[in-house]
Amino acid sequence: MANQRRPDSSSLAEVLDRVLDKGVVIDVWARISVVGIELLTIEARVVVASVDTFLHYAEEISKIEQASAEGDLEELEELKVETRPESSPQSATE
Amino acid sequence: MSNYYVYGVIRASDDLEFETDAVAGADRIYTVSHRRLAAVVSDIEETEPEQTDEDAQRHDDVLREIMEYGDGRTIVPMRFGMVFENERALKNVLRGARPAFRRTVNDIEGTVELGLKLVREEDADVDREAIEAAVADELEPLAVDSTESDLFSDRLVLNRSYLVESEDREAFDEAIARFEDVHDDLLVQYTGPFAPYSFVDVHIGAQ
Repeated sequence: MANQRRPDSSSLAEVLDRVLDKGVVIDVWARISVVGIELLTIEARVVVASVDTFLHYAEEISKIEQASAEGDLEELEELKVETRPESSPQSATE
Repeated sequence: MSNYYVYGVIRASDDLEFETDAVAGADRIYTVSHRRLAAVVSDIEETEPEQTDEDAQRHDDVLREIMEYGDGRTIVPMRFGMVFENERALKNVLRGARPAFRRTVNDIEGTVELGLKLVREEDADVDREAIEAAVADELEPLAVDSTESDLFSDRLVLNRSYLVESEDREAFDEAIARFEDVHDDLLVQYTGPFAPYSFVDVHIGAQ
């Protein structure tokens, strides 16, 4: 078996770096009051970030915002961002 | 009245039981579902919990427990301190941001985050660019994605996080060992696995 190095899972500093600075952020107004979903703003970058997956995603988001503004909530549930092919590394051109 | 401290978002499932200690001494961890998504939560009194080392560690421990649950679950990790005042507000965010959460769950499924810091020995004179190139050659092919963090010390030569598929973990461990073998002048801090905190770039606001 090839030589392996195991990652150290016990570093508090590494945990703090991530728990306090990374991860999903939700602004306080969306957490302490019941904001209508048409008033939520959502910014998301897909993990394998290529220009076209981001734009596509933004487009879906704007469709959703539009649908929710028109009150088409049931139709909104059918909008599936992930029905298109998964983004793939070869599309991740800079 | 109690508020909801949220650890992260998972695909809804009814068979989760948690054993890890909760943030702020709550007696149980449970889920709040909206359709096929669920938030992992515990009760909390304050809306802005103090950032103690202990509670930050508990937040991470809960995420870890979920990642290791059964044959592995996927969780979209929240930053520390995401407290909701009521269940309606929480469900509303799950509903409003559903496409972003579902997309993120799919993107990070089956992956973990690993951290790599390279620190040069006190008197060592190292070629930063050459090291960056060598690390990229070894590790980037094995990672789904990677991201750079601050070089907060002049002895810190490289500080990156990698998103790695579970099945590539061993190969990644081997690549780190190979790199370490040929770089005696560098201290290799290899850490994790973590929930993919650095790869869930989602920000939800209100107009």
